[in-house]
This record gives sequence, structure tokens and C-alpha cells, in this order.
Amino acid sequence: MAVKFDLNEREVWDGNYAASQALRQADVDVVVAYPITPSTPIVENYGAYVGNGYINGEFVMVESEHAAMSGCIGASAAGGRVSTATSSQGFALMAEVLYQASGMRLPIVLNVVNRALASPLNVRGDHADMYLGRDSGWIQFGAFNAQEAYDLALCAFKVGENHSVRLPVMVHQDGFITSHTAQNVYPLTDEKAYEFVGDFVPVDDMLDFSRPVTYGAQTEEDWHYEHKAKQHKALMDSRKVIDEVFAEFKEITGREYNRVESYDMEDADVVIVGLGSTVETARVAAKNMREKGVKAGVVAIRCFRPFPYDEVRDVLQNAKAIAVTDRSSPGGAMGAFFNEVTAAMYTSESRPMVTGFVYGLGGRDFSIEEAERIFAEQQAHADAGHITTEIQQFSGLRGPKLGFFKTARG
Amino acid sequence: MAQELNLLATDNRGQSQLEAGMNLAGWDEVTQGTVLTSFEGDATGIANKKAEERTYSDFNSYTASVASWRVQKPVFNRDICIDCQNCWVWCPDSSILSRDKQMLGIDYDHCKGCEVCVEVCPTNPKSLLMFNEHADLEESLAAWPEKKKKEKK
Amino acid sequence: MAITSIKNLKEFSTNNDRFEGAHTLCPGCAHSMIVRELMNCTDDNLVISSNTGCLEVSTAVYPFTSWDTSWIHIGFENAATSVTAAQVMHKVRKKKGNLKDNDAPVKFVAFGGDGSTYDIGFQWLSGAMERGHDFTYICLDNENYANTGGQRSSATPVGAHTSTAQAGTHSYGKKQKKKDIVSIMAAHGSPYVAQLAPNKWKSMAKGFQKALEVEGPCFINTVSPCCTEWKFDPKDTINLTDLATDSLMFPIYEIIDSHELNILYRPKNPISVEEYMAAQGRYKHLFKPQYRHIIEEVQKDVDAKWDLLQRREEARL
Repeated sequence: MAVKFDLNEREVWDGNYAASQALRQADVDVVVAYPITPSTPIVENYGAYVGNGYINGEFVMVESEHAAMSGCIGASAAGGRVSTATSSQGFALMAEVLYQASGMRLPIVLNVVNRALASPLNVRGDHADMYLGRDSGWIQFGAFNAQEAYDLALCAFKVGENHSVRLPVMVHQDGFITSHTAQNVYPLTDEKAYEFVGDFVPVDDMLDFSRPVTYGAQTEEDWHYEHKAKQHKALMDSRKVIDEVFAEFKEITGREYNRVESYDMEDADVVIVGLGSTVETARVAAKNMREKGVKAGVVAIRCFRPFPYDEVRDVLQNAKAIAVTDRSSPGGAMGAFFNEVTAAMYTSESRPMVTGFVYGLGGRDFSIEEAERIFAEQQAHADAGHITTEIQQFSGLRGPKLGFFKTARG
Repeated sequence: MAQELNLLATDNRGQSQLEAGMNLAGWDEVTQGTVLTSFEGDATGIANKKAEERTYSDFNSYTASVASWRVQKPVFNRDICIDCQNCWVWCPDSSILSRDKQMLGIDYDHCKGCEVCVEVCPTNPKSLLMFNEHADLEESLAAWPEKKKKEKK
Repeated sequence: MAITSIKNLKEFSTNNDRFEGAHTLCPGCAHSMIVRELMNCTDDNLVISSNTGCLEVSTAVYPFTSWDTSWIHIGFENAATSVTAAQVMHKVRKKKGNLKDNDAPVKFVAFGGDGSTYDIGFQWLSGAMERGHDFTYICLDNENYANTGGQRSSATPVGAHTSTAQAGTHSYGKKQKKKDIVSIMAAHGSPYVAQLAPNKWKSMAKGFQKALEVEGPCFINTVSPCCTEWKFDPKDTINLTDLATDSLMFPIYEIIDSHELNILYRPKNPISVEEYMAAQGRYKHLFKPQYRHIIEEVQKDVDAKWDLLQRREEARL
């Protein structure tokens, strides 16, 4: 039996600590990890829980992030609950094996504390690592604060391990801003948390020798495509399970999660669409703008993969001008997030104006004032009836104004 | 002989060629996570079961054939064999059928005709020799060479 | 642990094959001889992982598997990691009592070719050895990347022609010496490390059984002559292995607890390196007058290494 961990109804935790408590409460069997800033404390804490008897699992510190995810795959295929954490360069080193985890349909939970990708080297938060994972076949949840990092980690196990899903899940939080900022967190009791997550029920268990299984077979042009299509469908179908798990979580906690979150959107003309901790900044700015008579709203993506096209279109179709914010250098294209939202809006009747902002790279602050300026700019587009700026702009960047692509379309 | 003893058990044995990709299933029918199961039913203690006692799944390559790889086949001559099991231990294709310390024959669904068994056979003349793939067993045995005199070194 | 009898070949042959035929390894490939022997020398449950390579691409070609036990392949480099993490999971689940059969003995084995062992998976292997997991890593050393058309690896010996260490008018093939993987693995403090060969089936089976039995990370380098890339007739795989062990290009030995070295085979009549090389197409160019001195150099190196091995055996360090 594990030693009882005393919890208060309200704790003051940072995002990393909150995530590690979720791993403890979910009774994760094995954590295979190679710590990296800023996600280091998540796995360190799990190790401390093991070291002090708070959990009956095993912590294995390996020699690289590639090995960390490789180990997670081996342990998960051996039929138990598995989790780890990483960031940035570590995430990049894991990239090869991320695809293997999802292809083998192993419900590993990866806590990603978002951080910029070098070069130049940077330890601060942006979404370059999260974007790198967007085609890897994982479910991707975004937490905007410490409470959500905790809540969504618990939900992640329940979603990924659901037998109709059987997919790995990433829970993203922003480096330092969320991971290292102590905030009020209301944890569940250990009993309630475990009851919610449930026992791990293995599928294709390598340690069940009454039914030996082969993992990782080779498929060439006659089989590969069908397997990838089946996997994609599972990811698409997980939307229903995610909604159900969020609903169940609301029942026991009162905290509501949606694949797309919307704030002040009932009558909004101008909207900022964001990911991560930026959302909270934009929400404050929207309130301020409303005091000035601008009908501002915020749309946040909780579930980056599978991407909620229908919900994005529904919530944004009455808007006039939309700013989509990409916290990752797009490398010769529009931001990936801009592309997703624009694709959703292209299928709407109204086809509102959409512009993209690259912002916050390498942890550059995104202020309330800047969010207000972006709202004001959207209002200018709406008033003019056409996009008055370049479609891709850079927010909070020093030097001459940088922007790309123009349109004459209304 | 091996065939008579039902050592090559399972209904569909040798029906599918590994490279042919027969009966291709659609995306809705392929296995989740590309996982393959080796046996049907409970396989507990499978290491202690002989092939003919096992219930191989259709995914087990035991049920498949690589006979088409072969140009020549090894033919086994029971009369000369001393059951040393050299061929058994060195066959790279699990194709030497041995039971109770006796060599019984060759699994022609899995033999690729590499001729290692012939090379490692210590009898004089050899108890295994290569013949044309379509050679008849009786004719092959009739054509078996005599004992060779030891060459002086 | 249940260990299968390997007293003699007749006894050994009563074991049931756990590695099935109709895999797609080349005719005469030594890989399958080695894998069969490992799987047949125990009746314990096995969890096996394989690095990318000939073995992996030939034994799990969807929709077929040749493995009668649990098997996993992830990538080129990480078989040591996946199988040891599975071993950790086994430990946890056994403790929690939620295994299907909580008492059945399970052994954890990783296979890799020399490319994945000496080169790309070296770090993953070293990490798993250092962490001290209870597992056995077996390298199927055919001295090149045979699966991808025969590129040089750090296991390729001096003078061999490979597609990326070409022999020609200005080159005699690979110029660098083969990495001494066995000593490197012994230096990790492993309880059992060995170099074994399939022609010496009994010492190989004994070594496999020891490695499976001993607790801790064990490493075995096995010689796996590759008819396709070494260029010899498939029927001669075992004959060629005889030449390899008798020329002392591949001495057969074990190292216990990283210091107790035992030579397991001493050829009564050692043959020359030249004789070994003459049997393979990959060394053909060395018999041209301008490169003959390479054969002599390799012979000198082999002699020196054999001498060192004998002195290490004597000195027990």
C-alpha cells in the first residue's frame, strides 16, 4: 500500500507540481524519463513519490528523451499505465518515437511543458514543440493554467485508455508562465481522482503469455495506408469520448472543459483565437475592449488534435474579423494554427476576415495592451469591410514592421 | 512421413505466400496498432507444445509458405541417417522435423533450399542431398550415391 | 528457472521450435540459427525486442509473425530500452499482482544487428546496461548493414569491401579496425558478456542459458556470417563460421563479472586469416598484389589480439 499523501482542499501549486500530482493520483505504474527544462519537476516529483512510498510505481531515468519515449512504449505494451514529461529539444529528440506510440495505439500520457526550439537556444515558452507534434497522431490538450494542467492530465488517462480510443495523449502547458507560476489549485481527493481515471485495462498485453503478441510489424504499400487510415479514424472518433470524459469530469468537480472554449462570444464582432496561457491575457483584454464599446471575444482551442473544425466554425461564424495567434515561427508559411482556423472558416456561410499574428516567440511577453491593440485592429478591418493590414503580422517584434501577404477581398 | 504424422498441422498450412499479399483487408479490418497474435485460444505453456498440438493463428508465419523460393530441394534418406540432429540445430528455417530424437523429414513449406543441412550432414554418403525441385522421391532415393572412400590427405 | 537440456544435440532436439519458419531471411542466414537456438534453449516465457535490421524486417512482415512469444520492434536503436522498460513494468505488475500469471518466469531479450548495436543504438544499449536491468542483449554481428545493401559499420573488419567503404584502384576497403564491443560491454560491469558462434552450438547454448539465468544485464556478441554481403554460397554458412573461429578472427570467449575471462574454444589447428578471407568475395581485392600486405597486417592484429586474450584469461582481469 502506498503511503497516504495529505492534500488540502485548496493547494498552491505550479503547473509542473499539479501535473505530477495527477500522475501520482492516477497511480501511474512506470515513468520513463529524461528531464529537461522547464518540465523537469514533473518527473522529479514522480521519482520523489516513488522514493517516499507515495506510489507503488517505478521511475526509470534513461539517457535521452528518445530512450524515454522508447521506454514508455515498451512499458505501455507490457500492459500498464505509463506517463512522462518533456519540452522543446527533448520533444524534438522524441519525435521519431512519438509516431511509433500512436501507430501502436499505446495510451501513454506525455506532459509537454511548451518551450521554444533552437536555434538560437532558448528555454522559455513558445509553441514550437507543440506544433512539431501536430501530425504525430497523438491527442493534444492545451492547459492554460496550473489547475487545468492537473485536470487535463487526469482526463488524458481516461480518454487515451478508453478501449475505443487507445491513443497517446499530450497535455500541454506553457513553459514557466504556467509551469513555474504558483496558483490556487483545487485537487480531487486521491480516491475520487483514481475512481475517475479508473483501473488500467490492458489490450494486447505483452505480459499475457496466454496470448503472445507481435508489436511493430513492417507494412509496405499494400498495408501501411490502411493502418494509418484506421489510426486517423480512431483519432477523429476520439472527439466523442473526449466530450463524454469532460462531461463526467464536470459532474464530479463542477469544472467545465470543452474542445473549443469561448469567452464573450455571444455577440462578438472581433475575436482573438489563441492557445495556452495567452488565452487568459486575451480574456482580460476583451473585457477592457467591451468597456470601450468594442464587442470583443476570445476563442481558445482546448483540443489541438483532433482539431475541432466544426466547433470552431460554429463559434466564429458570426464574427466579423478574427485574429489567429501563432506562438511558433511558421518557417515560410502562414502559422499552422492560422491555417487550421482559416480552413474551418472557409466552409462557413459568412467567411469572416481572418488575419494571423506570430507572437511571443522564445517567451516574449504578450501583454494585455498588445491584445487590446489587436482587437482594435480587428475592429478597423470590420469597419472598413476589408483587411487593412497584411494578413500575416508579427506582434511584439522590435525593428521595422514585418508582415506578409495582402488581400483586396472584403 | 512427416505429412502422415500430421506434423504440418493447421488447416490452411502453406496456402498463402508471404510475398503475395492475398486477401488484403480494408482499413476497417486491419488489426489495431498493427498488432499480430501468434496463436488462437489459450497459448499458455506453448513452448512445451509440439507444433502439431498448437493452434496457430492465421498471422503466424508457420501457416505460410516460402516453398517458391526453392530451386532445388533437400531429400532425406532415412536409411543412412544417424539422427545426429546437426541438420536440426543449424537449419535456419525451422524446417527439419525432429520428434523424440529422430529426424523424420523436411518441412517443404518452410525450406528455402539453402543446402546447409546437406553440408552439415556427417554420414557417408550423406543422408540429405539436393535434388531438382520436381524430382520424385523414389527416383531420388534410387539415385543415391554409394559410400565414398576416405580421401587420403 | 526451467532450462532445457542441452547435454547433447539429441536431447536439445526434443525442444519445440519457438521461432517459426516462412520468415523472409535469406536462405542460409545465420541470424535465424542463432535466434532459434536462443528461443529453444529455454521454455520460460520470453519478451523479445528487436532493433530495425534484417531480423526485424524478415520476421514480422504484416500480416505474418514468426515469433511464438511476445515481441516488439520500435526503431533502429531502441530495442534495449523497450525490452528493459517492459521488464520494469513486469516488476511493477508482479508487485501489484495484476499479471495474468503472476508466478510464471519471464526472460527479457533484445536482438540487434551490428549496425544497431555498435553504431546507431550504442547509446541506448549502454544506458540499459548501466541501469542494470535484468535482460540479455544479443548482437547478431554480420559486420555490415546487410538489410540496406551492405554499408560499413563500426563492426566491419579492416580490408572488407562494403558499399560505403569501397575497394578499388585507390582503396583496399574498410580502413578502420573493428570496435571491441565485448570489452566495452564488460566495462559496464555486466555479470556476463560473451562472444559466441553458431558453429559451436553447445557453447552458444550454454552461454545463452547463462545469460538468461544470471540476474543483471548480459551481452552476447554472436558471429553471424552473411552469405549475401560476405559473398559466399549459402550452403557454407556453418563452414564459414568454422573458418571464422578457427582463424581466430572470431575468438569464442566469455567474461564473467567483467574480469573473469574464459576462452571457450581453442582451435587445435588454427588456420590463417588468409584462408578465412579467401572463402569470401568481400576480401577478393586483397589478393591483388598491391593489397596483399593488408592480409598480413590483419593477421598480425589477430595474433596480437589472441595473445592479449590469453593473457587476460590468465591474469583474470
